[in-house]
Amino acid sequence: MTLAETTATRPRVRRRSAAAERARRFAAIRPWLFLAPALLVYGGFLVLPMLFTLYTSFYSWDGISPLANMTWVGLENYVRAFTADTVARRAFVNNLFWTAGAVIIPTIIGLFLAIALNGVAAVNRALRTIYYAPAVLPLVAVGLIWGWMYNPNFGAVNLFLREIGLGHWAGGWLSSHTMALPATFITFVWSSVGFPMILYLAGLQTIPRELYEAARIDGASRWHCFRFITLPGLVETHVIVLSLAVINGFKVFDLIYTMTYGGPGRSTHVLGTWMYFQAFQFHNAGYGAALAWIIAAIVLVVAVPYIRRMSRS
Amino acid sequence: MTMRLLATTALAATIALPAAAQDELRFFNVFDATASALWVEPLEAFREATGVRVESESIAGSGAAVYPDVLRTAIASGSPPDVFFMWGGTIAQPFVDAGQTRDLSDLYEEFGWNDRFPPWIIDRLTQPDGSIHGVPFKARGMGLWYRKDLFEQYGMTEPTSYEELAQICETFIENGIHCASFGGQFGWHTMRLVDYFLEDTCGAETHDAINARTETWDQQCVVDAFARLRQWVDDEWLVPNFLGVTPTDSRMPMYLGNAAMVYEGGWFENALIGDGQDPGEYAFFLPPTPSGRFHAFPEQWKIPAQSTNQETAAAFLDWITDGETHMQWRAAFEGSVSAGYSPDCDAFPHACRWTEFLTSDRGTYPPTDQAFERELIDGFFEAQDGVVAGLITPEEAAAMIQRFVEEFDSPG
Repeated sequence: MTLAETTATRPRVRRRSAAAERARRFAAIRPWLFLAPALLVYGGFLVLPMLFTLYTSFYSWDGISPLANMTWVGLENYVRAFTADTVARRAFVNNLFWTAGAVIIPTIIGLFLAIALNGVAAVNRALRTIYYAPAVLPLVAVGLIWGWMYNPNFGAVNLFLREIGLGHWAGGWLSSHTMALPATFITFVWSSVGFPMILYLAGLQTIPRELYEAARIDGASRWHCFRFITLPGLVETHVIVLSLAVINGFKVFDLIYTMTYGGPGRSTHVLGTWMYFQAFQFHNAGYGAALAWIIAAIVLVVAVPYIRRMSRS
Repeated sequence: MTMRLLATTALAATIALPAAAQDELRFFNVFDATASALWVEPLEAFREATGVRVESESIAGSGAAVYPDVLRTAIASGSPPDVFFMWGGTIAQPFVDAGQTRDLSDLYEEFGWNDRFPPWIIDRLTQPDGSIHGVPFKARGMGLWYRKDLFEQYGMTEPTSYEELAQICETFIENGIHCASFGGQFGWHTMRLVDYFLEDTCGAETHDAINARTETWDQQCVVDAFARLRQWVDDEWLVPNFLGVTPTDSRMPMYLGNAAMVYEGGWFENALIGDGQDPGEYAFFLPPTPSGRFHAFPEQWKIPAQSTNQETAAAFLDWITDGETHMQWRAAFEGSVSAGYSPDCDAFPHACRWTEFLTSDRGTYPPTDQAFERELIDGFFEAQDGVVAGLITPEEAAAMIQRFVEEFDSPG
């Protein structure tokens, strides 16, 4: 290559490298351009309100007055929640019971339904649809329907008990301070059992059939197959199901709100409903925001490891 | 059609809209399906007369439990309606305290509203500083509605004292019929019975004083009122297991003949029609007290301070509270106490009686949930439910309410 040729080529090389640089830069920002609409929506409708709620939690504010009327109270709202508010304590205990129940009962029922219905027979498909159907209904509608079913005067539950000779069990399911929360929880089980069932059905598909065949040849019983093949094979599914059960257990709101409204008295409040009452009914938006962040913190303790594990998977 | 044309023409002549009026007005209310249907014609007439379309946004079904939240959210989000419905007392007060409602004093002057309504209602809506942030929509009285056939069957007449009422209940339960049906889910329905007991056991002066918190709640007459509540539950004068029942569902035992009475307001006549019942088979009486006072409260319209359409809203309010307007659509404005209005006594005989009571000089007392702030009334409901469930004694309930009052009035 002569000097003249080299000189003539240089601008072209520069032009090429400039174009490559532009392309490289565009490639770097291209994913963000695709993500931008979703990020804008996520930031505007989730992150900003969350940050504003955090900000509000350090103030005393009625939620209606202009923002200029907010009064700084520091950590007072959080201190009140942990030390002075007896209803918040009761609500937290209710959340714990609810979460413990949600982790155990629908999970076990869902697992056994999945095992029982894990086949291609038409009846299995029909039953899977039936068991999953309540999970797609709005919880508000479920709460209203079950509220009528529990009605002490004309509700289906008491009528059924009387029909089968158990009339002495008939009572005011949602009127009793001790029975209202368990009665509401039964509704929750009915409406939510389809979800773990579907997840476990998906998990069961990933376990090789050869493992069961080999085990049977070796003389393993059904229990041994379940104990040493099915349960270990569903570890990933257990993580998903149990994490979601804990998260949803602390987020519970709709069923309590529609079926008991936190009553009788304040016996069935959970943190979600008490937060709502404080923020929206009692006009204590600052305190309600603090309760909301306490719920969020509890949920995040479970949600963050769950999300990290899912991301790795 | 001719009637409607005449009404619209007359209407156009009476409504003075500002030159820069917008052509749409947002109107928040708690109309149920029946009321919404009755309001279609008046709102259409207003549109034809003024060109302003009134967009009615109804949040019905839970009384004062949910509607204020929806309204609050609309206001806080910077998208308030131009006119909104509100009950009286402490349900309305947070919106006033937050500076979110317009002082209507100038409109009272301009439109002569002081002469349009009974003085007790205007008094109830007037703020301590003399400003007034609402214009009355209806006055509501509440009483015990009963099945006439059951009263006739057992030879009963409307009671004139608590003792006579107790005797009626005794007779009913001896014959396998509960005296009254209540729905305790939101607390305010049971509260009506407690309020009546308080008026009877404490007397008018003390009842007003404990509501205003100038006297304490841990006194004997309050204990006596809760003891009555407990006795009504123990003796099954009330349909059992009612704490988890909604107020609307609590009407069913009366419709089925298992209970004789419900504690409802003047609106119950329309509810009976909506539920397929014959209002002629029912009657009501004011729960008897030595003072002669009865449960009553105003319902009102307010204009948000943030509304950008305030002058049109004012003209709309003037029109929908005018007795002449009410006479054109009497069913829609049942419960009105505006001057010039009289209910259709053939179609709504009960409404006629209510109007007589509400425009008389007979005294009234407010429901406690309009005397107590929402946070405080929640504590009241807890005490009340505790007595019904037998978890606390009447003495403990009275002391509990007093403790809530002290904590609320001196936080920290």
